[in-house]
Amino acid sequence: METRLYFVAGDIVNNAAVGALVGLLLSLLVGPGWPMIVAMIIGMVLGMIIALPFAFGLSALFGAMETMLPVMTTGMVAGMAVTMSASMNETSIAGGAEMGAISGLGVFAATYIFNAFVKPRAAKWTK
Amino acid sequence: MDEVTRRKWDRAAANFELMAGYGPEKRWEPYKRELFSNMGDGEILFLALGTGLDLPVFPEGKSITAIDISQKMIDEAAPRVDAYNGNIRTQQADVHEMPFEDNQFDQVFTSCTFCSVPNPVQGLEAIKRVLKPGGDLFMFEHTGSRFFPFRQMMNLMTVVTKRLGPDMNRTTVENVVAAGYDLKKVTHVYMDVVKTIHAIPV
Repeated sequence: METRLYFVAGDIVNNAAVGALVGLLLSLLVGPGWPMIVAMIIGMVLGMIIALPFAFGLSALFGAMETMLPVMTTGMVAGMAVTMSASMNETSIAGGAEMGAISGLGVFAATYIFNAFVKPRAAKWTK
Repeated sequence: MDEVTRRKWDRAAANFELMAGYGPEKRWEPYKRELFSNMGDGEILFLALGTGLDLPVFPEGKSITAIDISQKMIDEAAPRVDAYNGNIRTQQADVHEMPFEDNQFDQVFTSCTFCSVPNPVQGLEAIKRVLKPGGDLFMFEHTGSRFFPFRQMMNLMTVVTKRLGPDMNRTTVENVVAAGYDLKKVTHVYMDVVKTIHAIPV
């Protein structure tokens, strides 16, 4: 597991910030009355598309795959969560950004845990 | 020589380190240093040289032939080649048709190479030809993932990245086996995506 402060802090901030941006933008797009499933699918796709340039750009500072994959996942999850919420209830821009940031922090934690799970099991998938 | 690939990396050479020079290298440095510590005293082939980002973590005093398909990459690498405390000979070459004799090298090292080789199994077979029987192939590579949603994301990203540089969804471990190597050890650096591979020709 990554323990260097620069990278851990970078991973936290990157995911929270990209999640907040995705949440902010999609809370402007989706409102009550949207079919929830349609809103979630659009949110997932748009979230990933919004996150894509940040995934590439931030990787130059914080590592390639270690940045791209969580940030793209954050885009997807934040997009899905915010559009689901916004399709059911009026969601403010700040509320969308907050929900996106929380999604990003959740993805950060999930990817660290997933990485810790996967790494020791490499051998059995390659023999 | 594959001219499409050569031109792609010639175009990428001037700005290559903007994307790859800091974050990825810092993040992967401990793992690369450990991999390259396996360099022995025999003749070593290293590919692809790129702008020489890996050279500062090479052990000193080795005899290395370093190739890249892009002469512009090799030119960018010149200061790091000059700074290396050992013997590095650089040469522009395509991995598919390397101008080396059979069984010439004791060890071959690759670093983020087989994300970009157009025909990876053919390239790995070409390495097998120049590697002495019982010689070592050590690789530091990123690959695709077997897991949702990363697999799908990397397929999506590859649509963009393959025009400018590497593919993100290669199956390099499987390619190594398909090219006729015996896997000795695969170590995952990040998820199942970034890994080191040690293999020997069967």
